[in-house]
Amino acid sequence: MTFWTVAWKNLLRRPTRTILTLCGIGVGIAAVVALTSLARGFERVWRNAYEARGTDLVITKATSRSPLPAPFDAALGAEFAAFPEVEGAAGLMSDLMGIEESPTMLVFGWDYPGFLWDHLKLQQGAWPQRGVPKQLVLGFLAAETLGKKVGDTVQIEFDSFQVTGIFESPALVENGSVIMPLPEMQRVTERLGQVNFLNLRMRPNLRAQGMAAVRARLKEKYRGFNAMDAGEVASRNTGVEVARGMSWATSWIALVVGAFGVANTVLMSVFERTREIGILLAIGWKPRRVMAMVLIESMALSLLGGVCGIVIGLVAVRLLERTEMLRGKLEADIGLGLFGMALGVSLALGVAGGLYPAWRASRLQPGEALRAD
Amino acid sequence: MVEHASARTQPSGETSGPKTLVTVRGVEREFDGGQVRALRGVDLDIEEGETLAVMGPSGCGKSTLLQILGALERPTRGEVCFGGQALSGIRDLSGFRAREIGFIFQSFHLIPTLTALENVQVPMLECGGTCKSRRKRAEGLLASVGLEGRLNHRPSHLSGGERQRVAVARSLANGPRLLLADEPTGNLDSANAVRIMDLLLEAHRRHGTALVLVTHDPLVANQAGRTVRMLDGQVDFDSRLEGRRL
Repeated sequence: MTFWTVAWKNLLRRPTRTILTLCGIGVGIAAVVALTSLARGFERVWRNAYEARGTDLVITKATSRSPLPAPFDAALGAEFAAFPEVEGAAGLMSDLMGIEESPTMLVFGWDYPGFLWDHLKLQQGAWPQRGVPKQLVLGFLAAETLGKKVGDTVQIEFDSFQVTGIFESPALVENGSVIMPLPEMQRVTERLGQVNFLNLRMRPNLRAQGMAAVRARLKEKYRGFNAMDAGEVASRNTGVEVARGMSWATSWIALVVGAFGVANTVLMSVFERTREIGILLAIGWKPRRVMAMVLIESMALSLLGGVCGIVIGLVAVRLLERTEMLRGKLEADIGLGLFGMALGVSLALGVAGGLYPAWRASRLQPGEALRAD
Repeated sequence: MVEHASARTQPSGETSGPKTLVTVRGVEREFDGGQVRALRGVDLDIEEGETLAVMGPSGCGKSTLLQILGALERPTRGEVCFGGQALSGIRDLSGFRAREIGFIFQSFHLIPTLTALENVQVPMLECGGTCKSRRKRAEGLLASVGLEGRLNHRPSHLSGGERQRVAVARSLANGPRLLLADEPTGNLDSANAVRIMDLLLEAHRRHGTALVLVTHDPLVANQAGRTVRMLDGQVDFDSRLEGRRL
């Protein structure tokens, strides 16, 4: 028998209470795992989208505080396209729209033709015809969600559009979206001649110089505009920031609530065992050994709760990804780092919740504790 | 036959002369800010290898005296010395208890979640040794109290007499010089009471461990070499004056 045996067997003393506490911690950690993986997934999905499009630099108007950047004059694209380092410039207008009976969906208007379309692979039908209005293509997940096939019509705002094709993209967010030529999107959103993203692709051997030149021009001439690479634009996406903030806040709430839960359970256990702790002190255990025993109980409880939470969180995330609300919009980013973070939070929770009960237990006077009822 | 972890002290019959193990001088103990005076100036010497029964009516201070002897309580006034060293000067009282004192309580006070074998090993955790050596020693101690067949039973699956035998084995875990037993037979039937007293006296005889036991039972007290009777927090009678030794 070792010191650990004593602590471990204490946890098994009241299995119902231990299991209930594990559930409490587990739910908290599950919330941390689910929200963090979704927030990270949200960021990754957008980064993937920009990388898939072959975009080196994205220009947005920085003054906007809304989830989508403010629109600006599409003519800016022509100015940058004239830079010798720039291979191509493509304007993009995006918005979140409710389409027919389905939940909110991402709708894109892309310069057509343009390099943005290069990475898309047509599964069925054809691309929209140049100059023909009210045509669009659907990502395959969007087509499934809307229940549409090639040749059907889709009602967006007050217009009916014909589905000319269904495509597949390496970027999940595009598979769940609707894409139409930019002029159509500008008309639907009543923002003629405007875009809210300008995508620039540099010539392969002039990438660094091109990005520096564009940034310099923006700084010099276009105050209030931002130029970001794919990683930056994903991480500074307002939606990503909100998701990250919510996951951070939830983690803290889970930590505080969980710590109180652990403290309550461990303190109850210490109160119940006052006489027993008195015995341990009487037969020679040092106060610091008693403190360590209670802290180990608390940390073991939290770590076990953390493992349960990871399992519950993973199941919850997989279920959420399949819901209509999230399907095709984001994919959780689950990795060893996330598990490490969840176990770290659990351990912190165990230490925070166990410190006071452990301190109280170590302060007991053996004579008094032995007289306890 | 009771096994012992170390043989620091020779059996009482082989020593050249009795040495004082514990000296109690002017010890008072008050509770509730002086409203309750459990001990009112106790003077007592306990020799190495001595057996001493402390008797007296309920509330006379017997158990408080035992707790002070075992460094579980500090006296409000007065001094207790163990082996010539004042307890008030010992910084690590836990270590002192682990090495020098063995406790046996009326209610056994075993850890309910641990088996008999584990309960005996609990005090050993403070005194080092390997997991294997602790286990071996605990098995030997339990065999010596006749519980070799009950090693992996938890207290709830043992009878009262068996629990107290585990407690006796636990009290001997680190080879203490002083055994303190607070009504060790109080919760046992007469047959088990006799067996427990036999085990305690055997430990005393084999290893010279001093034994102080609090009891209400004159039959138990008669087995001790010396009897002290307490009344109102003071020593009212000490049989040493009659020169009686076991």
